Amino acid sequence: MEPDPVEGEGCGISRHEGVGGVAGSSPPLTGLPASQRRAEIRRRKLLMNSEERINRIMGFHRPKADDDSHSETKLQLEQDKPICLPAPVSKRVVLGDTVCSLSGTADHTSSLADHKGEKIDLFSKTHEVGSDGSSELRQRNRGELFDVPQRPPRHGLDQYLSRFDEAMKLRNQLMNEKPSQENGNAVEEFDSFHIFRLVGCALLAIGVRVFVCKYLSIFAPFLTLQLAYMGLSKYFPKNEKKTKTTVLTAALLLSGIPAEVISRSMDTYSKMGDVFTDLCVYFFTFIFCHELLVFFGSEVP
Amino acid sequence: MTELRVEPKHMTTDGGAWLLVLSSVFLCNLLKILLPSCSSIISRFLQKDAEQESEMRSEIQNMKQELSTISMMDEFARYARLERKINKMTDKLKTHVKTRTAQLAKIKWVINIVFYILQAALMISLIWKYYSEPVTVLPSKWLAPLERLVAFPTGVAGGVGITCWLVVCNKVVAILLHPFS
Repeated sequence: MEPDPVEGEGCGISRHEGVGGVAGSSPPLTGLPASQRRAEIRRRKLLMNSEERINRIMGFHRPKADDDSHSETKLQLEQDKPICLPAPVSKRVVLGDTVCSLSGTADHTSSLADHKGEKIDLFSKTHEVGSDGSSELRQRNRGELFDVPQRPPRHGLDQYLSRFDEAMKLRNQLMNEKPSQENGNAVEEFDSFHIFRLVGCALLAIGVRVFVCKYLSIFAPFLTLQLAYMGLSKYFPKNEKKTKTTVLTAALLLSGIPAEVISRSMDTYSKMGDVFTDLCVYFFTFIFCHELLVFFGSEVP
Repeated sequence: MTELRVEPKHMTTDGGAWLLVLSSVFLCNLLKILLPSCSSIISRFLQKDAEQESEMRSEIQNMKQELSTISMMDEFARYARLERKINKMTDKLKTHVKTRTAQLAKIKWVINIVFYILQAALMISLIWKYYSEPVTVLPSKWLAPLERLVAFPTGVAGGVGITCWLVVCNKVVAILLHPFS
């Protein structure tokens, strides 16, 4: 790409910003009056900023092979270096530096400072990746940095967009759920199967206290009952149990964990909660019965 | 003789401990449900300006009605005077309402804080009291293999510890009071 004459004048556009794809496609501004030129420069700057931001969000750095020699050498270095880079060292690796070790030295810092302009994208990106803690994303980033010439960045964009769609769906679901949760919370929590479970546990506790528990642990019948409930749950009408969308689920989804895995783990979590509730009711009823029997037993001569 | 005298007393405290904890938890949960209405009642007692506020409202209403009867073209001076009066009164009412709302929020906040402090104090004192003493005792083989977990922190074989009992009571009371909350 030919360097733009306006950019050459130093009108506030940094070199880094000038490497955006937007500037490359626009016509030269030599024939325009000063005010229009200024407006055009501002427009380009804004567009480039947005592109840069998109790159940062998507988590990859679009290489500018034509005029950015720094990024080119940097990528070259990265392509040359992967063998000496240990797998868990993600931050330094992605920074694209010549240093392979984790220990931060003064030289390293100075080299970073020298190329700060060029590395700002990568640095912010690694920061984001590091903060969300997703190993998959980290791998993806690293992979993309290494495979930039082979793999088009479109894949990352698609992946990001699909995740973004999922997150938006989740958000909409959450927005729709909020009023209904306020109104129909009781219905949600106390469906027929839930009530059946609680009543069953209470009855079993009474039965165990009166008849069984003399030779057995009280938890053995409870476990049997839970097994029975597992089998019986098929025969109860399953009301559409809405998945509770929390910030945690949204975060997990955005960090690349499949929605199916999240929903399954949430399902397991809710089942564990149900079992714990049953256990509490069972134990409470048992103790209550026991104390009543002891009380009346002590009263009766 | 002293041993004989102490033993029944010990038995009675043991017998009542589970009920004491249960009733405390029940009361706390019940109060938590009733807290909004309680705080509104208390704030009504503490704020006696509500009548004055309603008087101001009715006065403004009356003045507005009067204003609607006056023709602006014919009696402009009177109209303007009344309008100014209404505006002044409305401003006064607004300030009053603002002050009252802030006061109400403060009262509710204080009541909530006091309630939670009292609840925490009650729970801590219960835990303190029954730290080494089980709330009730069962034959240890009944609770196998979880007897240690159930007895925590007392360490008494077959005993039901305060922590376990508090958790169980909280859960059961929450289930019982759920329809009313």
